[in-house]
Amino acid sequence: MKNRLKVLRAERDWSQADLADRLAVSRQTVNSIETGKYDPSLPLALRIGRLFGQPVETIFLDGDDA
Amino acid sequence: MSAKSAVSTTPPLSRPGPWVAAWLLTWFAARAVLESTVPTWIRVIAALAPVPVAGAALLAIVRGARELDELEKRIQLEALAFAFVLSVLLLMTLGLLELAIPLNRDDWSYRHVWAILPTFYFGGLFIARRRYS
Repeated sequence: MKNRLKVLRAERDWSQADLADRLAVSRQTVNSIETGKYDPSLPLALRIGRLFGQPVETIFLDGDDA
Repeated sequence: MSAKSAVSTTPPLSRPGPWVAAWLLTWFAARAVLESTVPTWIRVIAALAPVPVAGAALLAIVRGARELDELEKRIQLEALAFAFVLSVLLLMTLGLLELAIPLNRDDWSYRHVWAILPTFYFGGLFIARRRYS
């Protein structure tokens, strides 16, 4: 699944480690989500949406949206 | 749905590392005792000495697993699945080979084969980590 996490993170000038700290996950998890190797659980996706103040479906794009 | 801190606040004795190290040390100590000439009851105690330490290691490992984030849990699951299947395969194959040909017990007894099993776990861990990095 594609996502806009890297763009949103860059807009705030956060490193992967900064974002990982804010989400209480490891930096590897942030990296794997950004590169599309790992799709986050629903609770984590909702945390990401809350952190960036955007609906989950505008951050994570399924095949039809991508 | 609260986010737990990614920074571990686990006290050192609740971490698996020291307990796994203690487990290995008691195993080496037991081997040393069992290779010497001592009464049978001491040999039995020495053989069982690693068990309580392994129990403490198990508790610390389970506690540690609960603190992992969701990706690390998936990585550990894949590593354990890999290790479990290979461990069963190794033991099954050795069992069949034992029926087919005489295996030298000095090379293939339980006291040697167990040491191969953690290698499967670390192999699985390496593969799973590479997949998600």
